Amino acid sequence: MPVDGIFSTTVELLGKSIDLRTKNQNLISSNIANAETPNYVPKSLAFEQELQGAIKGGQKGTPQITNPRHIPLKGAKDRIQSVTGQVIETPAKTPGKDGNAVELENEMTKMSENQIIYNASVQILSKKFSGIRSAITGTGGN
Amino acid sequence: MDFFNSMNVSASALSAERTRMNLISSNLANANTTRTPEGGAYKRKDAVFGATPLKNPFNKILDNAANRNIRQVEVMEIIEDKNPPRLQYDPGHPDANPQGYVALPNVNVVEEMADMINTTRSYEANVTAIQAAKNMALKALEISSK
Repeated sequence: MPVDGIFSTTVELLGKSIDLRTKNQNLISSNIANAETPNYVPKSLAFEQELQGAIKGGQKGTPQITNPRHIPLKGAKDRIQSVTGQVIETPAKTPGKDGNAVELENEMTKMSENQIIYNASVQILSKKFSGIRSAITGTGGN
Repeated sequence: MDFFNSMNVSASALSAERTRMNLISSNLANANTTRTPEGGAYKRKDAVFGATPLKNPFNKILDNAANRNIRQVEVMEIIEDKNPPRLQYDPGHPDANPQGYVALPNVNVVEEMADMINTTRSYEANVTAIQAAKNMALKALEISSK
């Protein structure tokens, strides 16, 4: 069994998720900081669709492996690695008179959501490693 | 590291909000000041905020799409309110004009108090954002701690 096998794509996926959530946190901080700046339009990182597409795969013309001797050119791991997300503008429905389109409540909600999913990803990753570790040492889970 | 960008952005906002809070304090303190070094009654002051790109030398090298969109906040300028002074009839006042009216600062105390609450809340929101970034950074250290 190759070493890749025990890690599967879970580690890659969770790592990427943590990475993208960090970038999203940067944008949300920027929105909160500029909650009173004239003409500022809030931005957000959209990556869920892209990440989901990367896991399912096969959509970007991945070469099929038809013979066990073939070297995989672009597997799910590489596809997950290449996900960068897209910065989208998320203006409020009713911008203020100064052209500022930030809604502080929205941003705080987005920040909490981002943080909770981030923590969940970290926790699952941690459990994954501890599972592998107990399989190696044979001492049972802790 | 990405977390520090987030913290730097929030810190720039804390600094900007504090500048605005100082101006509000100054406006409230001088709500009845009729003599200033520039002459005449005190004029209400306000800060103009502007969104500027991150000032981090690493970003020139570690350039990526998500970082390019991050904006910190800066006080671009401090402006004086152009509204006319409040005129109050008080012939006994040493600064009264020949008609007996005193020019008082164009500061509206109620407006300043509302601005002050707004500033406090914005400040708190940014402190929360810093705490969130800090907790995320610390959480990442726990990944293989046990």
